[in-house]
Amino acid sequence: MKLYIQNFSTYRSDRDEVNIKATLKKEYHLETRRQSEFIHLAVYGGQLLKDKISIDPSDALYMTSANGDIDVVQRSNTYVNKEKQAIKLFDFINLLGNTSSYYVAKSLGIHGKNIFQISNHFTYIHTLISLYSSLYHSQTNAILCAVDLAPNPEEIAQRVLGIEENTSLVSSVNYQKFSLQSKDAMAVLEFDTRSYTLEEMKTILASNRAKVHGSIRCKALLDNDETSFFETMPSAVLNEAMKQSNDIIYIDCYDEKYKILKLKNLR
Amino acid sequence: MNAYINNYELLCNAGNTQELMQAVYAKESAIVVDTTYLKDATAGLGKMSYDTIFTAMKEVTQKVLKSSNLENFHNTLLILGSSVGGMQECEEIFYAQSSFKNIDANRYSMNALSDYLLETFKFCNARALSTACTSSANALVLAKRLIDVEAYDNILVMGVDGLCYSTVLGFYSLSVLSNKQCTPFDANRNGMNVAEAVAALLIQNEKQSTSVELKGVGASSDAYHMTNPDPTASGAIASMKNAIEDADLSIEDIDYINAHGTATIANDKVESLALETLFSNKTYISSTKAITGHTLGAAGAVEAIVSCEVIKQSLVPPQTGLETLDNTHINVPLVPIEMRVKNVLSNSFAFGGNNTSLVFGV
Repeated sequence: MKLYIQNFSTYRSDRDEVNIKATLKKEYHLETRRQSEFIHLAVYGGQLLKDKISIDPSDALYMTSANGDIDVVQRSNTYVNKEKQAIKLFDFINLLGNTSSYYVAKSLGIHGKNIFQISNHFTYIHTLISLYSSLYHSQTNAILCAVDLAPNPEEIAQRVLGIEENTSLVSSVNYQKFSLQSKDAMAVLEFDTRSYTLEEMKTILASNRAKVHGSIRCKALLDNDETSFFETMPSAVLNEAMKQSNDIIYIDCYDEKYKILKLKNLR
Repeated sequence: MNAYINNYELLCNAGNTQELMQAVYAKESAIVVDTTYLKDATAGLGKMSYDTIFTAMKEVTQKVLKSSNLENFHNTLLILGSSVGGMQECEEIFYAQSSFKNIDANRYSMNALSDYLLETFKFCNARALSTACTSSANALVLAKRLIDVEAYDNILVMGVDGLCYSTVLGFYSLSVLSNKQCTPFDANRNGMNVAEAVAALLIQNEKQSTSVELKGVGASSDAYHMTNPDPTASGAIASMKNAIEDADLSIEDIDYINAHGTATIANDKVESLALETLFSNKTYISSTKAITGHTLGAAGAVEAIVSCEVIKQSLVPPQTGLETLDNTHINVPLVPIEMRVKNVLSNSFAFGGNNTSLVFGV
């Protein structure tokens, strides 16, 4: 499977100091009321992409996240079950996955398909496969939003993601605009549906010349001193590689199965 | 590559597939009026009999596996659509303890359900989609597309949602819950019934003698309002047209439409307008949510099974609960219609104007 990347945008809370809500209001003149921090983050990333490239109303929108908006789950449960209050209307609405994709679609003027896909492993790669199969048929372009909000406290998300307590969670949103056509593309991304064993990975990496990046779950193959984490990190790593015009391989691991992304810059 | 629905099973308030279809044709609503969830009010709900949502999923999945041509699911992808995932269990623990401390985080997130099935049945892979009430309809869209590109040969699509306080209270706060059995398309309808279900469909690239083909899929986004559909019905019209075109069919080829038909004022008004615009007064239309209630993220899969059964039984379902048709320009039958049903269109619409339509046929 091969997808061409037309452009990208990146935000990471550990690298960029931005008051997102204020920026959405002041710079982009967008309504922010009744929306959660998770939605603000997703919409903000979309605006960064829109600053760089035109977005067609028929583009499909895919959103993906490791665990969505945990804060609103905690808040609504606290209201209902602990404080014995009625659920707040906009907490209920923001609880739903496609609320975020609605706000992103609206802010980008997209009327094509919009999908919110979530999985706690291979989150980004799984969504790429879905997006590819959709584009293969429609021959349109697609926007992929990979978003993770660091919840407060971090404990629940750390347990969900299976990461150590000394690894800090980062809020991040990363967009890419994908096409099946190479025209005006910045890079090409290759991937497939199969998983590899550790031994197969060793063989693949032995003959590889591109720089290898991997998640903190790939300790059997890579030295990784990363102390921060978000599940959709491969999206950010690819964006950083495009920024630096580097060709890279990204590997991820779950339950002793490995998956690979290969990025080649075209500019 | 074509996508064929070769096996399926469900569990809902009316029972299994066979029991549900009997209720649909007999116009026997399985909605109960309940006082558990709301303090000073009643709500019509679709409640099923089960131990936990996890065991219910396991039982339904086992039945589909047993009836299939597969020995196991090791070469099968699982795509699960759900609006609230494992929220039900999370609420139960929180309600008992007023704390998140003892909640197993791996059993309440959106993908908790698919992760459980992945582990239990050793699927080759799994993913979860959450687009509220279109979740499992979009899982079927994705399954067809993945079979199109030959990424997988076998895909199990599941729609799962269990009743929980968050959804019942949430829809109550939106003032769209009916306090009785819902009456889709009726002029005096007063809202929807929140319900629960587990539904599973095995989609394969090989045709069998009993296959129903997933012929076409269509999706669109209103991007109009967070909870209300675009009043011009442009999104609903677009998703239906896209699905029919994808199936390489024309409007006249559709014999029956299983409507989204939630019985809310807004949905039924806009969906009726969309159906009137595309189909005028010709094609039979009904909503089986009058029997099942609105099973939210499971609805697309539940109604896909109903659509397959309508084709196999050559019997169009009547509209349960209808007394006075609100939009008289659509064709809603009051009794079962015996006829050759070649193609069925099924609609699922969700918050944010997330619209999905599916065409099933033989």
